[in-house]
Amino acid sequence: MDQSGAEEAAIHRHPPEHSSIPSGENSVWSDVSPLLEAACRELRDGELIHGDNFNLFAAMSALEIMDPKMDSGIVCKYYSIDEAVENGVAPVPISSDKTIDVQCTIDIMDHLLACEATWHNGHSLAQTVFSCIYLLRPDRTSSHAILHSYCRVIRATCKAVVSVVSDARTHEEEDLFTMAYGLPLHGDGDEKCLSMLNAVEETIYRQLRACKATSSKKRVSEDIEPLQHNLDLEEGFCKALLCRIRFPFFPCSYLYEKTSRKRLGAFGTCEDGVEERTTASGRAPIGFDASLNSRSSAPTPPRAIKILSWEKAVQYFLKLLHDLDIVCSYSLDPSLEGVLRFVVQFQKSKPDLIARAHLQLLLVQDGKLYGRDPIFAVITKAAALPEVTKNHDIQKNEYIVQLGQLVINMLKILCTNAAWQRRKLGKILQDWRVIYVQLEIAFRNEFGSVSSISDDENICVKIFKHILNWVEEQTYWIASRYLMLGFELDLYSPNEYCMVYWYMYVVLIKLAEKTHLRISVSSGTAKKKGKKKKDSSKEVAKESRIPLPVLFLQCHLCLAEGLSMMLAALRNELMVLQSPSPFNTEHERFIQHFELLQKACVPDNISYLSFKESTTYTRFSTLVMYNYFKNAQRIAKEIKSSFSDDPDRLAEVRRLEQVAEHNGVALNVICRVGALDPSLKRRRRPNQSQNSKLIFGRLFFGLSPDFLIPPNPSLSLSLSLHFSSRIL
Amino acid sequence: MEQEAEKSSIGMGSSGGSDTDGSEVVSQVRKMLFHRMLVGIQDGRFFLGTFHCIDKQGNIILQDAVEYRSTRRSSPSPMEQRGLGLILIPSSCRISCHVDFSVDEQLSLLKIKQ
Repeated sequence: MDQSGAEEAAIHRHPPEHSSIPSGENSVWSDVSPLLEAACRELRDGELIHGDNFNLFAAMSALEIMDPKMDSGIVCKYYSIDEAVENGVAPVPISSDKTIDVQCTIDIMDHLLACEATWHNGHSLAQTVFSCIYLLRPDRTSSHAILHSYCRVIRATCKAVVSVVSDARTHEEEDLFTMAYGLPLHGDGDEKCLSMLNAVEETIYRQLRACKATSSKKRVSEDIEPLQHNLDLEEGFCKALLCRIRFPFFPCSYLYEKTSRKRLGAFGTCEDGVEERTTASGRAPIGFDASLNSRSSAPTPPRAIKILSWEKAVQYFLKLLHDLDIVCSYSLDPSLEGVLRFVVQFQKSKPDLIARAHLQLLLVQDGKLYGRDPIFAVITKAAALPEVTKNHDIQKNEYIVQLGQLVINMLKILCTNAAWQRRKLGKILQDWRVIYVQLEIAFRNEFGSVSSISDDENICVKIFKHILNWVEEQTYWIASRYLMLGFELDLYSPNEYCMVYWYMYVVLIKLAEKTHLRISVSSGTAKKKGKKKKDSSKEVAKESRIPLPVLFLQCHLCLAEGLSMMLAALRNELMVLQSPSPFNTEHERFIQHFELLQKACVPDNISYLSFKESTTYTRFSTLVMYNYFKNAQRIAKEIKSSFSDDPDRLAEVRRLEQVAEHNGVALNVICRVGALDPSLKRRRRPNQSQNSKLIFGRLFFGLSPDFLIPPNPSLSLSLSLHFSSRIL
Repeated sequence: MEQEAEKSSIGMGSSGGSDTDGSEVVSQVRKMLFHRMLVGIQDGRFFLGTFHCIDKQGNIILQDAVEYRSTRRSSPSPMEQRGLGLILIPSSCRISCHVDFSVDEQLSLLKIKQ
């Protein structure tokens, strides 16, 4: 670098003022170096020459030229892409030897795939995919059919992905993702890339057939030029290329690839066991240099990144394809409830940005569900209103319009990553609360007090009532999702589980209540027209014909209550899982966790005090009396048969049942141990209760840190053994 | 960079940024402020911007600077350019420095040199 710098100095001693950088009109460039030098000599230490607009702090933010961390323009090996190309960095064809050429093409394909995966994982295009010089100069490859078509497809894919992700606005999660300034994302004729790739695939397929025919001594009728000249390697190369070209369509080919790699490994240097390689062969690919376009992305150079290994890239793409497959095979359930369940289920597999962006675009297009169902129609369906209301004028009411917007926002938020999603859900809770109040006021203004109007008087009244109830139900649904996501993100510490489960319990009560009301009203209006609502809901309860979704919620509810009570009892009687944090009180942590819920009054009249009231005096005796886990287990058993056609939900109910059962056992064991071993009860001081703390801590974690996670049966078994041995 | 900032903050105390008003050379340099300045550096790049500040060590700050660089190692070659904004050019890498002067200004400059 220094040497070349000196050379440059010699060449560029005289500035090109006369050629490319013009001076102003009627003015000339005059050399001021000696003058500056003289002036600097006369300046005192620390003295500056500057104008009135000088600001030291602003000056501090100046980019320092020639500082490798600030100056992305430092001339590296090559001055420009063209110069690199002229120096043979990215030759076309890659080699005059056809065998080596094919081999290098495969390496380039592999590395491009690794680059693409790295890009999807949050790095800039310029540093990843477009570090490929063949991509930066699209026209150069036109004589090399395989490379040319592959590059075109990669470019077109990048363009499509950028557009999906920016349309879905999920790129806010990854700000680097959609930056493509100055990169040739669109090459002329890229729209024909697929047919080009198909043609190439066809040719290679024929070459493969031809070489198979020759090896089995059959004569081939058509005269086909082989891919390369080494006949022993022809079949392997053909297959390797086909795998890569078909990869997006046939992910299974990866499995085949693993076996065929051995054969390819016989050729050239194959370093197996090197985890960081970005190509299947382990060779470095030809034609990549990320420094060449570093100037186009930003004035400051980007941080150096590591490209994902080939293995990881393939794994990433297999998962992406699997996730996209789920999105594509989704049946476009017209009910909002179904959509929400699908999205929550989909999110459980932690899909990546690209898959989530696609899901969002599928769900919300042009402000409609699936770009097909108007949002008001979706709301009327969700709120269990009769079909006719779909076209009612009430949808022009400004609050109803706002509500539609909220629903769309919620759907979009549910498609973001867990952390982002939780934050946003917490924030929109307030919007949902506000829209509820506004709707209620609008409703009152229009129709007077609720009680003075009989049910059938006005369809508007009915619509409003249904929608109000549904808005509340949805608000509690969001709240419960918000609380659940906290588990997924590991935001709660074990000694906070008690309050979290308690809060979840109070939210679930409300949710179950609203859901029940909605379902019973809709079935009530359908079946028993004219009957008063109160009666019908009573009747439903009497007949114990509790609807399935409500039972499902009740099962959750029993578990949440049981867990929170068990934790409270553990704390009250055995002094385990207490809050030992010296930094903040339990009350403060309550506020920290539930501030957004409290702000939005979800649910009403719930505070730290009510939490304390309901848990301070909990004892194991009360727990046994109420039998929360037994109830949960019973409900789970009851509803299992109803979900026999839905494997996902069936699995969920099974897990609920399991957790209920295990915790029931655990509770029994604790109670018996407590009864038999009064010393356990007496150990109240922290230094003495270390042992029991450990036991119950483990017991609890093993069984139910979250009722979504299946408990570990072996652990609970070992624990019960442990306890029975103690009891004996 | 930070060192310079510290040092310069001492100078900031003096009125107008400099006490050496008496010196002919310094006042001449002060006249160059806000003129277009073209600075060449070792690796062959040029920076064109508004002359904003210079310190005792000869480090120059340019405002609204544009970077020019040749696209080939062999000169002459076509130049590529991009905007950079506020930049600091350390004196150590500077190899040439030109200011855009009108003919009159050029003449007065010559006088001082003599």
